Amino acid sequence: MTSTTHATSLAADSQRRPPFWRNTTLIKWTVQVAVLFTVLAAFWFLITQARSNLSARGIPVGYDWFDDPANFQLGEGIQTVDSPERRLTMSRALWVGMANTFRVAIAGIIFATIIGVIVGVSRLSKNYVARRASSVYVEMLRNVPILVQIILWLAILGSIGALTPDTGPIKGWVIVSQKGISIPRVFLADGFYQFLSLFLLLSVGIWFVRRRLVARQERLGGNQHVGSITTALVVAALVVSWFANAPMAFLRGVFASLESAWGSIPQVVVQVGLAALAVGVGALRVRAFLQSRRTPAGLAKLTDDDWFRLLFIALVAIVAAFIVLRVWPGLSSWLINSGRDFFGVLSDKFGDGRGTRPLDAMRPTLSTGRFVNYGTTGLTMTVFYASLFFGLVFYTSAFIAEVVRGGILAVPTGQGEAAAALGLSRGQALRKVILPQAFRVIMPPLGNQYLNLTKNTSLGIAVGFSEIVQVGQTVYNKNSQTLAVFSIYMMFFLACSLTISSIVNYINRRLAIVER
Amino acid sequence: MSTRNTPVRWVRENLFSSVGNSAQTVVFSLIILGLLRWLLGQAFAEESNWESVATNLRLLMAYNYPTGQFVRIWVSAGALFFAVGLSFATWNVRPMIGFRRLLTTLVGFGCFALICGLVTPGTTPSVVRTSMFAIGGVLVVGGLAAGRLVPRAGERNVGFGRLLVAVSGLAMAVVWLVPFGKHSFIDGAIAVERGVTIASSTKMPWTVLFAVLVSTFFAGRAIAVRIRKQLKIALIAWWVVGPAFVLFLVLRDPAFDWSRIWSVDVPIAAAFALGGGAVLYVLARPGREDLARVVGALLVGFALLHWVAGFAGWYGMLQKVRISFVLLAIAVLLVPTFAGERRARLRLSGGWIGLMVVLHWLITAINTPSTLVISAPPFIGGLVLTITIAYYVMLASFPLGVLLSLARTSKLPIFRVLSTGFVEVVRGVPLITVLFFFSIMLPLFLPRGMGISDLAAVFTGYTLFSAAYMAENLRGGLQSVRRGQFDASDALGLTTVQRTVFITLPQALRVAIPNLVGQAIATFKETSLIAIVGGFDILRIANSTIPNQPDFLGQKRPALLFVALVYFVFTYSMSKSAQSLEKKLEAGRVR
Amino acid sequence: MSIADQSLTTELASRNDVIVCRGVKKWFGDFQALRGVDLTVKDREVLVVLGPSGSGKSTLIRCINRLEAHQEGSIVVDGVELTNDLRNIEKIRSEVGMVFQQFNLFPHLTVLDNITLAPVWVRKKPKADALAKAMELLERVGIPEQAAKFPGQLSGGQQQRVAIARALAMEPKIMLFDEPTSALDPEMIKEVLDVMKELANSGMTMIVVTHEMGFAREVADRLVFMESGEIVEVGTPDQFFSAPREERTKKFLSQIL
Repeated sequence: MTSTTHATSLAADSQRRPPFWRNTTLIKWTVQVAVLFTVLAAFWFLITQARSNLSARGIPVGYDWFDDPANFQLGEGIQTVDSPERRLTMSRALWVGMANTFRVAIAGIIFATIIGVIVGVSRLSKNYVARRASSVYVEMLRNVPILVQIILWLAILGSIGALTPDTGPIKGWVIVSQKGISIPRVFLADGFYQFLSLFLLLSVGIWFVRRRLVARQERLGGNQHVGSITTALVVAALVVSWFANAPMAFLRGVFASLESAWGSIPQVVVQVGLAALAVGVGALRVRAFLQSRRTPAGLAKLTDDDWFRLLFIALVAIVAAFIVLRVWPGLSSWLINSGRDFFGVLSDKFGDGRGTRPLDAMRPTLSTGRFVNYGTTGLTMTVFYASLFFGLVFYTSAFIAEVVRGGILAVPTGQGEAAAALGLSRGQALRKVILPQAFRVIMPPLGNQYLNLTKNTSLGIAVGFSEIVQVGQTVYNKNSQTLAVFSIYMMFFLACSLTISSIVNYINRRLAIVER
Repeated sequence: MSTRNTPVRWVRENLFSSVGNSAQTVVFSLIILGLLRWLLGQAFAEESNWESVATNLRLLMAYNYPTGQFVRIWVSAGALFFAVGLSFATWNVRPMIGFRRLLTTLVGFGCFALICGLVTPGTTPSVVRTSMFAIGGVLVVGGLAAGRLVPRAGERNVGFGRLLVAVSGLAMAVVWLVPFGKHSFIDGAIAVERGVTIASSTKMPWTVLFAVLVSTFFAGRAIAVRIRKQLKIALIAWWVVGPAFVLFLVLRDPAFDWSRIWSVDVPIAAAFALGGGAVLYVLARPGREDLARVVGALLVGFALLHWVAGFAGWYGMLQKVRISFVLLAIAVLLVPTFAGERRARLRLSGGWIGLMVVLHWLITAINTPSTLVISAPPFIGGLVLTITIAYYVMLASFPLGVLLSLARTSKLPIFRVLSTGFVEVVRGVPLITVLFFFSIMLPLFLPRGMGISDLAAVFTGYTLFSAAYMAENLRGGLQSVRRGQFDASDALGLTTVQRTVFITLPQALRVAIPNLVGQAIATFKETSLIAIVGGFDILRIANSTIPNQPDFLGQKRPALLFVALVYFVFTYSMSKSAQSLEKKLEAGRVR
Repeated sequence: MSIADQSLTTELASRNDVIVCRGVKKWFGDFQALRGVDLTVKDREVLVVLGPSGSGKSTLIRCINRLEAHQEGSIVVDGVELTNDLRNIEKIRSEVGMVFQQFNLFPHLTVLDNITLAPVWVRKKPKADALAKAMELLERVGIPEQAAKFPGQLSGGQQQRVAIARALAMEPKIMLFDEPTSALDPEMIKEVLDVMKELANSGMTMIVVTHEMGFAREVADRLVFMESGEIVEVGTPDQFFSAPREERTKKFLSQIL
């Protein structure tokens, strides 16, 4: 066409820039940057204010109190008291709190799911009593605040009889009392990690064998006993690693050397590495951005808006690099230290003349009117744990029941009718046809409920259960390091929500693929 | 073939149609009966002393509010009931309840009471058991008889007005006739007078309150026929401003220093109201948009300067002047959007003047010391605190949530990142950590010399927390607005602000209402966390104040069960009305 | 070429240019929707744009009131060039009316509020004037009795006529129609086309993207045929339908006629 040359000559002077106060691109970015600046300035102001307020009271802000002795006892957990052979430091206490949170959260999620599914399905039952009973259950539990329920549980459990050596129901085996509930327990013994590592090692071998077997099955056809051979091999591996896991003790040395190797990484290397990471990510984003503007006819002309975006990405990358290099070297040393500690903990789990038995069992142990807290004793649910646990389980199960009910109702009625037409019983139809489909609808809100349950464990503070928030509060009441403790809270719970939501997303993706 | 719906037949078809069904019936019945018996056993265990609740009702409701000034609580409650009755009438809240359904519910309740009477353990006082049987019997017999005797019971409906009258009448009858006994708690000593009805200092106000509720409902229904729109606007204004009025003027009873008010506060307020109103009126003339933008930008700088100066300590200034300048700057920036002919400009100025008057009056009232003589500092506590905090958190987090959700759905990347970061971080952490953070850290964040009360700090944290959830709920609504709506409003030349205010938000809100109501319920329930961070709400009183009274040492269960019941009544009625609202919205949505 | 055609062409040439597009290019990611479009629209001209779907017709008219920003080239509407100048965008949007395929009425507002919203808040008209004008327009499109209803209560044809009234209420100089009848049931197409014909006869400058060949033949002053982001052929209806010059045009016409 003849007009193309004409058009290109015009294009040069086409996008004339208007005066700056009427340039929409410029206005947009000015306002954004101004707001960003205001927010950052407000943050900076608040932080400096808090710092100066704190230092006026003689409280330095930082994380260098991690190794201070705790000087307090924890109510329960993997380590509750400070003893000469095992120091209870501040950070150790926080770890114990996190472990307690997990103990409640994981058990709570399991039980709330079981009860919730039963109640949710019963709400759709044909039976009048079942339907009514479960809807009363749901309405009663979800309309009373969880905190009230937890405290009520404590009041109720606290009125059960006192703990004596004769307390039953089954003396010495199952004990229910004011102090809590205790039953026999299976626990991980000394040899567990050696057992696990050997089993994993053997599993890799079995996996290869199985692959060969599957290939043979496909080649030869017929029944080549793939399943039974694999099962036999797994059983054999279990037996071998149960009894003969002593050789794995050599891992102690491996982890110990990894520990020292990691610990000796110079801080500068980590700093430069992180800075390079920031700049690299920035560069990658710029590249991706340019790629998205690339057209078959070459790079499209970048608009003002695009330039601002590029500039902003570059700026963020540079600021991040600067922070890592100059402002916050603590981040790098923290990475080094925690990596070193991680390997140290791992190496402690192996070797050193320990027994090879991976699991052990024990009956409840009493010592003068209270349960022995933790260790090689029965599985004890203290009254604090129990009230938090019951509160969480029953409250959340009411919500889960609603989620399940909604999910089942979301499955088209035709599906149930089709299943009935095929001669499946109501239970079979539910298990084989309706629940699998409902699962996809249920999964996201269910993940939300799990998240809520995990966050609600923090209410343990109301009944004195030593979960992370309660321990953290004890810590900052001792040393006034509120900012640091709150940042730990934030990290911990954000990590929890990220974990749960990524698991939910993963399952969702799997379900979506299966559907196709 | 008989189609008669006899009870025997119903039982056979619904409960024992097959072996599995019968098993379900038996199992669930046993579970329910067992749980009921256990729960009643908890409530009426030997060591449970319900006088701990009866005696402490005033404490549970209003904490340490001085007895001599208690009339203020009643006046506030009266204002609330007044507004509720009028709102019911104005928004035409009248779910028609089928007469037969009502009877079924009553008979159901009666059966429940009878079953409770049967399964109560031996520790229960006989009067409780007898009254359970009596109530159950009356409900069942009365309900069944009414179903038989009233002609065409299946087609009749019961109007909301009648229901309201009936419930109020019943409540009054119970209060006036049933001999609960007089319980009072004077100077740490209980005085119980058994066999009489409750004290008239409780009976009388409640009677007046219910009379107010019923009469405003019917009066409102009569008025609303003529002036529904004006009434709606007035009521919305009342629901936004009224509670503050009640809280800070009636309940708190500030000791105004009138000479200072006339010499300082009134002139400042008048200057801002009239001056700002005039500026807005002048700038809002069509054709002065550019001028308004320039003035607005200058004012933003001017207003920010005062804050920076305040923090840097260059010069002092009353905080309300700073706030007013910021508001004025925002108003001027919005002028080009809402400018128009004379009436529109007058409305703009009028709105500004109203805002300034309310704001300055509120700030003055808050900053004036209270005249109340209270043994423990917070002047509100108990259920009053619970309701107040829940209400204000919802109210204050709404605009914040709207802004956050708009930022999160906006096309501007920095706004999106900031908003997403805030919302996700806040939603990722438990409320209790947020409350702790604010109650401990907020005083530290403030410049030296500036204080904030514990409750205010907790309230701030709760509001921010709630705003994040609000933003998430609204985001769903915003995302449901179709793209075509944006195209159409852009093609008509609406500015971004106009598009948001007139097109996007109204549509998004309509979609988000069910979720927002759900959030309101959650907010109300979670207000109980105030008990952990030091507020004396109803839960804290039940859990730690009452069990420490010498007469009721260790009495936790009755009070806690009572608290659970109070929460249940509130949230259950809220969620039921939310469900009917949802149905109404769904029916009203024309596609 | 007939004498009538010739006189029309000369007459058109004497009028002002209202829309001038020069080398307009537009990309969506790596898809080029417009590959250098040159187009001039005269005052009071009715221009019908034809073409297969995905040919860039809608993108072109959406660029003309800057619902989409073009990336290269220039668009001048009524003497104002479209850049990221705030004032120009405001001015053009209020002078160019647009009607969409999906009507895009505001579902939460009554018909009257739909029509008066922009005049009151953008044109800053007194409410009473806006209302009077709205009723007048509703009379013109033939549905004054629907004024108090909500869009959801109207039929598709009625909704589209309200949408036309809403655009006209801003008293635009130019009207853009983006496939206004494509989402309508067949029996409602006529009522909308009648309104558009009446509008064309009243001397409104219009760009219409449509598949209604009868309308194009009857009302259009010129026809534009687009394919893959380019203008293939421009001509009067007679010439276009009876003697298309380009091979691609012939193919298109043979497919749809």
